[in-house]
Amino acid sequence: MTAKGRFVAALLLALVAFGCADRLATAQTGRNPFAMAGGEAAGAATGLAGTILAWQNKFHIELQSAAKALKTSGSAFWTLAGASFAYGVFHAAGPGHGKAVLASYMIASETALRRGMILAALAALLQGCVAIGLVGAAAALLGATAMQMKSAANTIELASYGAIALLGAGLVWKKGRAFFAALRAPPDIVASRGGFYCEAVDDPSHVHSASCGHLHAVDPTTLERDFSWSGALGAVVAAGLRPCSGAILILVFTLAQGSFWAGASAVLLMSAGTAITTGFLAACAVFARQTARRWSGPGRRWASLAGRGAELLAAALVMGLGLALLVGARLNAA
Amino acid sequence: MTFRFRHKSSLFARGVFWPALTLALLAASGAANAHPHVWVAVRSEVVFAPNGKIIGLRHAWEFDEMYSAFAVQGLGKDGKPPTREELAPLAKTNVESLAEFEFFTFAKQGGAKLKFLEPTEVTLESDEKKIVTLRFLLPLETPVPAQKPFSFQVYDPTYFVSFNFEKQNPVTLARAPDGCSVSAVEPKPLVADENKKLSEAFFQNFSPGADFGIKLATRVIVACP
Repeated sequence: MTAKGRFVAALLLALVAFGCADRLATAQTGRNPFAMAGGEAAGAATGLAGTILAWQNKFHIELQSAAKALKTSGSAFWTLAGASFAYGVFHAAGPGHGKAVLASYMIASETALRRGMILAALAALLQGCVAIGLVGAAAALLGATAMQMKSAANTIELASYGAIALLGAGLVWKKGRAFFAALRAPPDIVASRGGFYCEAVDDPSHVHSASCGHLHAVDPTTLERDFSWSGALGAVVAAGLRPCSGAILILVFTLAQGSFWAGASAVLLMSAGTAITTGFLAACAVFARQTARRWSGPGRRWASLAGRGAELLAAALVMGLGLALLVGARLNAA
Repeated sequence: MTFRFRHKSSLFARGVFWPALTLALLAASGAANAHPHVWVAVRSEVVFAPNGKIIGLRHAWEFDEMYSAFAVQGLGKDGKPPTREELAPLAKTNVESLAEFEFFTFAKQGGAKLKFLEPTEVTLESDEKKIVTLRFLLPLETPVPAQKPFSFQVYDPTYFVSFNFEKQNPVTLARAPDGCSVSAVEPKPLVADENKKLSEAFFQNFSPGADFGIKLATRVIVACP
């Protein structure tokens, strides 16, 4: 519980936030000419990806052959279902920038573990449903062409980027106020038996109650207060609105073969798989925050300021990511 | 719900673990972004001018069944494959955005990178099985003499599209002077090599750097006497 320890924790939180900002660098990459929903091609592979890549390729190819086999064999559906689920798990980047958004959101605002995982699952489900809705309505009912689906996907994409920027702006407003409030806060409070007294008032009889408005640890009541469903749903929309190319491809392909419902079920299973991976990430983000939070218990003002600063940084990054994606999309459209 | 650490470990390890894991997952997700959704079988023709200079490449890119299904969706009458005219708008959009990706074609001569102009003679066609092929002529900005080895690769650096040369006659020469030859150099297998470096690469490669697209790309070399 040293001040130094808390500072390290705050720094690490900031580092995680910067990990999310990695998306900023790739946000400006142009749209691949052969993309369905755009954006996903962004980012070059890293050394770690060798194995992940091999797995993803395997499941994508399996997915494709199972979808082909649907026409001739009924049992192919189960292969398709299994491959879709596995693809969802390994295609960890399902919601594209969604994971960075979710992780940043959870670092910026206190989220309980269970809620964090529910949010991740909802985002994954929303993503699958948007793809099904898009292909179902546009292609199956209206007979839309690839061009029309591309432009519909682009519109949805723009909306999702706007949602990310809005979510970020909301967080910046909230966290910015908290940060500046902490900046103006009274001098350090030092704990003593039975309560607290303020350093500046050098009078032991001047004692606050044990809960004198300062945060000491992860406190369930604080969780309730800091958490808002409207903010959380904003995060779900921001993270999950944009459909992924893989899902659109499966849906269009099965539609062409007259087995759209098999494709739609496969996409929902894909969402379930994605939810596992994003849920895991969400859990890590929640734990990361809790670790830092526990270390910034009662104590030095600058350490708690660093914690608030890290939150503000994560919030600013969400907003920056949304704006960068918006600008990037506008530039592509121009 | 809070999380309790059962084991006594150093303050540093306790503080680092979850943030580090979150960071690692995010980095891994960045890597995972780059995997192919679209497969293209490539056939290319190296086009020579009457004076023996190489003036450009004529590509024929055949797409996989899924992308083809996407491309022909909503087009074609009575279950027939769509016509070239019907596919023209998609061809136009595809090719217009190719420039930003350097046409996925990377040509070199004597170590110098060669530039291409906007593609011409663009068509997108569907065969009877509704598999689509994109064809275009990609002119070199400046035609190059063929006496020095000329080489090119076709790949997507972001690896959204997996380009592979056809097994049979992947590259042909058009109007080439006598004695010109073409050969293809296959890439080294990727995963075995990458896995070896995995542990140290894990923390070093957070930023985009290594490209899988290029590592997996075949290099075509044209040599003339």
